[in-house]
Amino acid sequence: VNDCGEHCITCADAGVPMRVISFCEEGAVCVDDEGITHEGIAVELVEPVEPGDRLLVHAGVAIA
Amino acid sequence: MKFVDEFRDAELGRVVAGEIAAALEPGRHYKVMEVCGGHTHSIYKYGIDDLLPDNLELVHGPGCPVCVIPMGRVDDGIAVALREDVIFTCFGDMLRVPGSQQTLLDAKARGADVRMVYSPLDALRIARSNPDREVVFFAIGFETTAPSTALTLRRAKSEGIRNFSCICNHVTIVPPLRALLESPDLRLDGFIGPGHVCTVVGGRPFEFIPADYGRPVVISGFEPLDLLQSILMILHQLQQARCEVENQYTRVVPREGNLRALEVMREVFELRPHFEWRGLGFISQSALRLSDAYRDFDAELRFEVPGVRVADPKACQCGEVLKGVIKPWECKVFGSACTPEHAIGTCMVSPEGACAAYYNYGRYARQKEAV
Repeated sequence: VNDCGEHCITCADAGVPMRVISFCEEGAVCVDDEGITHEGIAVELVEPVEPGDRLLVHAGVAIA
Repeated sequence: MKFVDEFRDAELGRVVAGEIAAALEPGRHYKVMEVCGGHTHSIYKYGIDDLLPDNLELVHGPGCPVCVIPMGRVDDGIAVALREDVIFTCFGDMLRVPGSQQTLLDAKARGADVRMVYSPLDALRIARSNPDREVVFFAIGFETTAPSTALTLRRAKSEGIRNFSCICNHVTIVPPLRALLESPDLRLDGFIGPGHVCTVVGGRPFEFIPADYGRPVVISGFEPLDLLQSILMILHQLQQARCEVENQYTRVVPREGNLRALEVMREVFELRPHFEWRGLGFISQSALRLSDAYRDFDAELRFEVPGVRVADPKACQCGEVLKGVIKPWECKVFGSACTPEHAIGTCMVSPEGACAAYYNYGRYARQKEAV
């Protein structure tokens, strides 16, 4: 456990704010506030989404 | 950093803390419950407890998804994980939750193919790449995480992926809150509402708290100033004899929630008649299982699971911690036999668990007090 920083990649319930930078086959390519890039974020629940939009991502799926 | 730095301004935090102190009635002891484990984590991480007057007590609620999983469900997962044909996937913090005999991490050490994933979508990718193996996802979490599982299962169904299934342990936050409000052990003055759950479900499901129990609810964000402002909003309601659901986290939480997320959840899940919560016992209609349309993806039907109820270890007081009856440090094994490295109870496993959050941050403040 210890300090997971701003959010913990192993935690089941961490909401991670991310910014959309582009799109790929499985969804969006996003970057979080620590500069880490995440590919394949599902955006079906918050569409329409454009590059530059800020999302709240839970377990690989944008919920807001 | 936009939307973050503004909510971590220490000077403004002290100003709000001063307003909180001024809003308290002298001689009255206030108890406010933060429902969500993410809030518990933030409260200890940013030392919000230290800024509050002594007669305002924050009580930690049951909103940590790992903490409320009973041992029997962990045993069910391990039984499936030990099958040779199975790749078992789960979130990382689930790996160290103790079952009656072992953890999933122990099972992995003994040869089970247990893999940590960040998202159920990762588990589905593993299923696509391993068509000869059964890939099982151990789904946990409240309404924040349930849409991810639902969306994954919808994709699996539409793609016709047959080697993917799910042990569904998703729970809903309202029934345990109602159980806590009915409990004679606990007298609460208000609730800090779970911001991210409300992103999905909106504020309406919490309206029974002011309507039926006369307690204010303020839906809150997770930064230090969010939490301080939410506490102040609760106190203002009490001062003005108002009682309602207010939304402090308007930059994220829409009033109606996320309608598309609710729709996919309705398609994929249905309510279980009963579900056992660690420390809280069986609560009616408090958890989700797969709907008839998704029965083919239900690992509990696909594989044999023990389904045996296991009592919590006697030494562990997670139940009382989850109900807010005791503080983490009041548990007999806190920080001695039970630590994040060797957890006896679930509240010490997840970073969102009250015991782990307190062990990682809060204990330093108490050591200072002792000196």
